[in-house]
Amino acid sequence: MVRRWIAAGWLVAVAASCAAPSGERSASSAGSDLTIEAAGVAPLGPEPVALQCARVLTVDDEDRIFSPGTLLLRDGRIEYVGAAIETPPGYREIDHRDGWAFPGMVDLHTHIHTGGWGGSNGYLGDDHPILRPVNPELSTQSSLRPSNPLVRLACAGGVTTVFGIPGSGIVMSGFGVLYKTKTNATFEEAVLASPGGLKVAQTHNPERYRAATGDLGSTRAGMSWTLEDLNDRAVAALEQGRFDPALENLKKVHSGELPVLIHCAGAQGVANTVRMWKGAYDTRCVVSHGSFTGYRVADWAAEQGVPVNHGPRTLDYFSSRLGEIVPSSRIYAEAGENFSLNTDSPIFPSEELFLQGTTTARQGVDSYAALRALTIHPARSFGIDDRVGSLEVGKDADVVISTGSLLDPREHVELVVIDGSVQYAREKDGQWF
Amino acid sequence: MLLSLALVALQADAPASAHAPFAIKATKALTCAQEGTRVYDRAVCLVRDGHIERIGRAADVEIPEGYEVVDVGERWIMPGLIDLHSHVGAGAQTGLSNDFTDNVYLANPGFRISSAAIPGNPLLRTGLAGGVTTVLFIPGSISNMGGWGVLMKTGFDDWESSLVRDPGSLKVAQSGNPERWTTGVSRTFMNWNTRLTLKKGIAYAEAWQRFEAGEGPEPDVDVQWEYFRQLVGKETQISVHTQVYQVVLMTLTMLRAELGFDIYLDHGTVGGWKLGAMAQELGVPAIAGPRTFDTPATGHRFAAGNTEPGFYPVHSGYRANGLELVGFNTDSPIVPQEELSVQAAVGARYGLDDSDMSVLRGVTIIPAIAAGIDDRLGSLEEGKEADILVVTGHIADPREYVERVFLSGRSVYDISEDKRLW
Repeated sequence: MVRRWIAAGWLVAVAASCAAPSGERSASSAGSDLTIEAAGVAPLGPEPVALQCARVLTVDDEDRIFSPGTLLLRDGRIEYVGAAIETPPGYREIDHRDGWAFPGMVDLHTHIHTGGWGGSNGYLGDDHPILRPVNPELSTQSSLRPSNPLVRLACAGGVTTVFGIPGSGIVMSGFGVLYKTKTNATFEEAVLASPGGLKVAQTHNPERYRAATGDLGSTRAGMSWTLEDLNDRAVAALEQGRFDPALENLKKVHSGELPVLIHCAGAQGVANTVRMWKGAYDTRCVVSHGSFTGYRVADWAAEQGVPVNHGPRTLDYFSSRLGEIVPSSRIYAEAGENFSLNTDSPIFPSEELFLQGTTTARQGVDSYAALRALTIHPARSFGIDDRVGSLEVGKDADVVISTGSLLDPREHVELVVIDGSVQYAREKDGQWF
Repeated sequence: MLLSLALVALQADAPASAHAPFAIKATKALTCAQEGTRVYDRAVCLVRDGHIERIGRAADVEIPEGYEVVDVGERWIMPGLIDLHSHVGAGAQTGLSNDFTDNVYLANPGFRISSAAIPGNPLLRTGLAGGVTTVLFIPGSISNMGGWGVLMKTGFDDWESSLVRDPGSLKVAQSGNPERWTTGVSRTFMNWNTRLTLKKGIAYAEAWQRFEAGEGPEPDVDVQWEYFRQLVGKETQISVHTQVYQVVLMTLTMLRAELGFDIYLDHGTVGGWKLGAMAQELGVPAIAGPRTFDTPATGHRFAAGNTEPGFYPVHSGYRANGLELVGFNTDSPIVPQEELSVQAAVGARYGLDDSDMSVLRGVTIIPAIAAGIDDRLGSLEEGKEADILVVTGHIADPREYVERVFLSGRSVYDISEDKRLW
């Protein structure tokens, strides 16, 4: 019975996201007796919860670990985290006294917001059009399908917050949405920030789709000029207090209100990104990918204060042509602060974000440091560490309970709580991943 | 850790020759033995003439004079991994199917893949870096009988050192691929043709057995059937590409119960685990993979109508149905050769209990038993070939990795001096 609902649950989610208008949580459109309850998802509610665990890894500034530990969750926030205490009256106790609690993981580079549906642009579906080289007026907000099947799997893998961004087929594909991977949520319930930040692709893809950009988009020089020209116009509009409907969000990037995630790779690509977005425009920029030989400028990028969001490749083999594994993940992790990891899902499945930490640890990075790259570091890189990324009082109650280390694939996730409500419980729902 | 690395580095070039006896000291030895001691803490392993001379706790094993000591410090040692489903023995340059898979006929009992093998090729060497020391290099599954595989070691450049056994197995693809590549044959026809071919082979082998017993005339040598003498003589096995309930059922009933061959289930996925009890009764191991679980794909052609949509772990599924010998494969390059240990990790994730070392035995001694080479390989036990991994920890945890490999007592990979490949 438990097994039967897995596919049924997916159907419900798909049917709901296809048919239900935004803001209306309904699964009745599936046209059968399948209901959200049948899918085994606990109803949302104001009920305060006490999580009793064998170990609580807070990933806070002091790296506090409580063995055993308790988390009290109330009104969607963490009310208490610390050494084990008895469940207070009025709190529903969730007993995982043999489980480990972690902050929900944060992935800054994902493309699963469409659920792989819609549009004609390959598997990314509604992800992004390839029409003009720069599109500062676009956002993935219109493509987001909350709680779609891919999002639900991400949740079951312990990922609770993702940045859903357009692809890298063009130089500036638009703005992304920061949202939570709730398994049964409306747009309003899922979204943390829309727009959550800007996505830029600084070479290593747009040139492949140059039909959209002409000769200008086929060279690094042309793409750089295109970006600088647009940035200069946004900065001018900002300084002049001038309203421009196409540039309003981009102005927020240049005022420091929004971060920018920049797809780039190779030593020259990473360097050019840092020079432009930090050196020339001083934005809250994050290097994403940084693959191939990008690690060669890791120290310099760190000196400039630009955090790196590495992945889906966590090592280099062929670009360096050394005939051996180059541990790029370790090189970045050791170079600077707030190193984080991504999946670029569906390139790597969202639910496998933890494996990026595993391969980083395999390169010799301490497991706890690798855990930070999946939680507090990406949150800090994007300025959402007041909400997510660690288990601290006052933060969003996004908690993952696993049978052991999150980085060990022999273990599995038992429970995922987001904003204080249970989204996935293996015992009840069956193991999704 | 730095200290132990330095120690390894100091000793790196010591036991280069198979003839110089040496002793490995390690904080832990996982023997992966099927019976007997599976873990020695503070262990010593004596290696002489390419074989394990003794292994045990340091307190119990005296290191004889003249033995060089390789102290790996905090590292563990364990037997090299064995993958009974590999297609990378010819390297990558010939593509996935060229040079090792012909589908001239639906059954090709005369083909030998040893003619395509390239010892020490880069894909095998990367597998070695992942701890895989022995592979069964087999033909593909586009015909019902692809030919004879070869068991070979991964870390040598020459054929003589690499060869473990030829024929390593007869590769039979019961179903689930040949029909896609040939002329639209059905399972009924394929089973008829496979049975007919096998019976011809049996007849050839039995004619020779009668001759050797002095009970019949000397038969003409026919290379088409020659290796059947080893197969019928139980010197090799049939490795059977088989999956989906009714196909696995035919594998067990036809190849094992009716024709009496030594066989093992290869793949064995997509509902095959439901036949765990029958496999146990017939003494047929399952070396399952590369899928480690049956997927929840509704309407997928593999759903085969006999399993309701859902998520079914394969390895723990066989175990739950009573089969003792359950191992892992990669079907490399489907899953890369070097990721055999990751297959074991997924098995553990989905319920294969490791308290009796089932997970690591599933990539060492259990495939060795299935292939009939457990007298030579698959565990750290006295008298076996010294195929030894020096690892940073339990290698089904991908945070841990292989630092060094001894193959037949020779140091063939060492990240303190070689390039790290995985």
